Amino acid sequence: MATVVRRADDYPDPVVSWWSRRRLRFVLVLVLLTAFYSASWRLARVDPERLLTGLPKMAGWAAKAWPPATDELPVLLLRTGETIAMAAIGTTAAALLALPLCVVAARNVTPSMALYYPARWFLNALRGVDSFVFALLFVAAVGLGPFAGVLGIALHTWGSTAKLWAEAIENIPPGPLEAAAATGASRLKVIAYALVPDVAPSMVSVGLFWWEFNVRASTVLGVVGAGGIGQELKNSMDLLLFPRLLTIILLILVTVTVIDHTSEWLRRKLE
Amino acid sequence: MAAAQARVTPETAGNDIVARADGLTKRYAPDVTALAEVSFAVRPGEFVAVLGPSGAGKTTLFRCLTGLTRPDRGTVSIVGRDIWESPRELQLARRAVALIFQQFNLIRRLPALENVLVGRLAQVPAWRVVLRRFARGDRQLALRCLDTVGLLDRAYTRADELSGGQQQRVAIARALAQDAKVILADEPVASLDPESAATVLESLRSAVSTGVAVVASLHQVHLARAYADRIVALRGGRIVVDAPAARLDARSIEQIYERNGERNDP
Repeated sequence: MATVVRRADDYPDPVVSWWSRRRLRFVLVLVLLTAFYSASWRLARVDPERLLTGLPKMAGWAAKAWPPATDELPVLLLRTGETIAMAAIGTTAAALLALPLCVVAARNVTPSMALYYPARWFLNALRGVDSFVFALLFVAAVGLGPFAGVLGIALHTWGSTAKLWAEAIENIPPGPLEAAAATGASRLKVIAYALVPDVAPSMVSVGLFWWEFNVRASTVLGVVGAGGIGQELKNSMDLLLFPRLLTIILLILVTVTVIDHTSEWLRRKLE
Repeated sequence: MAAAQARVTPETAGNDIVARADGLTKRYAPDVTALAEVSFAVRPGEFVAVLGPSGAGKTTLFRCLTGLTRPDRGTVSIVGRDIWESPRELQLARRAVALIFQQFNLIRRLPALENVLVGRLAQVPAWRVVLRRFARGDRQLALRCLDTVGLLDRAYTRADELSGGQQQRVAIARALAQDAKVILADEPVASLDPESAATVLESLRSAVSTGVAVVASLHQVHLARAYADRIVALRGGRIVVDAPAARLDARSIEQIYERNGERNDP
């Protein structure tokens, strides 16, 4: 208190008292963060000792895994193809479904605010449920296989893509749309002619990102029985077929790298 | 229907007026009078400059003329249509009015020609707009409009690669392609350098020579005197000068600003 008074004499500035309040807040944040992390540490049951005993086991598997198994390569390639196909069909279906909805869910072009809010809620709900969870439900509904994965990817990506697209639409400058609307043109014409060229590159970029993301995501969808390379991954792990496991992991790495680079190259070409 | 049209047409032709404001009054709470009993009429082929200090009501006037702001009292008629009569009348009137913006408002990624074609959107079938397949006649009209503003050689240059002055001239070509009877321009040259401002105003001038009426708010008195046929000056929401530009000398126009300054001082 005394410090504050003396400093206030030198610098009659209210900032001084604000600084101590700020320091108080800083300490409070520090305490809360420490509490949060110590609670998380316990809830996650982090146990470095178990990791240390587990690591040699993994090293043993790695030694047993070499050389990778090649006898089942045709089947594994087919499963990899399934994975890419699931991602492609799922993402494309999601994009087609997202097209009309992103217009409704963009504040600046929505036909009515009465539709805007329900559209946003719906998209947030889709986005909130991971494709993995959707796939789990669809395996129960339509049976095992990649189709359940396609449906899972499509639903989650529908929400995510439409939301990002709506945000891209909301971020474009309003002037050109106003100018087009001021000529007496209908909303459809304004959107098709003045909005699309402005947002198309970023929309395609978002679409490519989700395709790439979904290829990575669908490598594990097989774990819940939704087809693709993930199913073989789980089988091999269950049966401790390490050389086969290594082949699968290498295939996933190659596929994801190729897709990532293709998508990145395509996105760069758009700019 | 025919009878109604027969009544409207001679009236507009007889009076020879494309845009008319009658007794426009607009107040903003609590006691700001943006417009007070503003009345004026614009004839085809007339270039009207609207002058006045900031806050004089210029922007409110333009917003009322384009149907963006509803006046408390008074009427606006464009080519004989009362724009506040019904949304349909406003929509039809808007086709006859072209707007020029201070910030040009071109679609950045499209070439100049396709920006000019925006002026045709209301007339062209929706499928053509969606597929971007305009009829040859529309494309040729757009090229002619670009030629009018002196940018034929820039037809295939992307809008964001043009200079500010060139972009504003593309916007004028867009207004011409709309086949509008009136071009309303709120501060069309306020964000341009003097040289670009001159070319833009010359383009508006050449539009006027084809029979279009132009109403433009301007900041610089000398530009108004050089390019406009008539000067309307607003102060405190009222028209204080409405006279042919040739009859006003620079000093009498500058008094619009001076008197306002004195009024604000105490």
